[in-house]
Amino acid sequence: MRPLDVMWVGLGGGAGSLLRWQIGRLVGERYHGGFPLGTFLINVSGAFVIGYLSVLFSVDWRDRFGAPLNAGVLTGVLGGYTTFSSMQLDALKLSNAQRATTAIAYLAGSVVAGLLAAAGGAGLARWQG
Amino acid sequence: MINAIILVFIGGALGALGREFLMLGVPDPSDGFPMPIFVANVVASFLLGLITGLHQRRAVTDDVNTLVGTGVMGGLSTFSSFVYGAVVVMGASATGMTVALAYLAASLLIGYAAVWTGYRLGLRGAA
Repeated sequence: MRPLDVMWVGLGGGAGSLLRWQIGRLVGERYHGGFPLGTFLINVSGAFVIGYLSVLFSVDWRDRFGAPLNAGVLTGVLGGYTTFSSMQLDALKLSNAQRATTAIAYLAGSVVAGLLAAAGGAGLARWQG
Repeated sequence: MINAIILVFIGGALGALGREFLMLGVPDPSDGFPMPIFVANVVASFLLGLITGLHQRRAVTDDVNTLVGTGVMGGLSTFSSFVYGAVVVMGASATGMTVALAYLAASLLIGYAAVWTGYRLGLRGAA
């Protein structure tokens, strides 16, 4: 890894985090139900894009160094955009509000939808050739 | 209050860099279990729980919560690499499906235990 990669990851991570924060606020203003919809939509959409771009860029998912696009977009933007810790915090809040069933459904639903989205994104990129 | 945009950007950048260094520094086991992402996600879950507990009892300011909770922990943890890594591991070898399912289950269970523990510690002020 080169110093430039570090810079791209940082810039991408900052930009992705801002996008997550903005989308979270927009969803929060429009949706007032009891399901953590913002984080769910952010994570599933990010999973689709990472599957799509990883195949499009032909990158091994563990070895993303060398190209600004890989470091900046895959590790940076998408890593900053999606979040695992907020998903767990959402689940904890649901559980603390005596809504354990919703918490479990949220975690399981996020993972299943995320897996399908990542595989679907990769499949779309392969289909496009 | 400091501009939240700056806090989220700087925090997210720092968190993503921390994850990058974990990916470089944490060794991958031979069975393909994505250990660096697992570590990043569990550590971020614990620390997000901690800062949320501290913030709830007003031990940290709103700005610190935005910088560390929304920014750093959001940047350090990742959901996209979490699920995409599982998809890749599933198809990588004969034992890939078992490893991927163990990875998903361990991340969810230990990640939840981490956020729960961090939150309790933050509320109690023992941390």
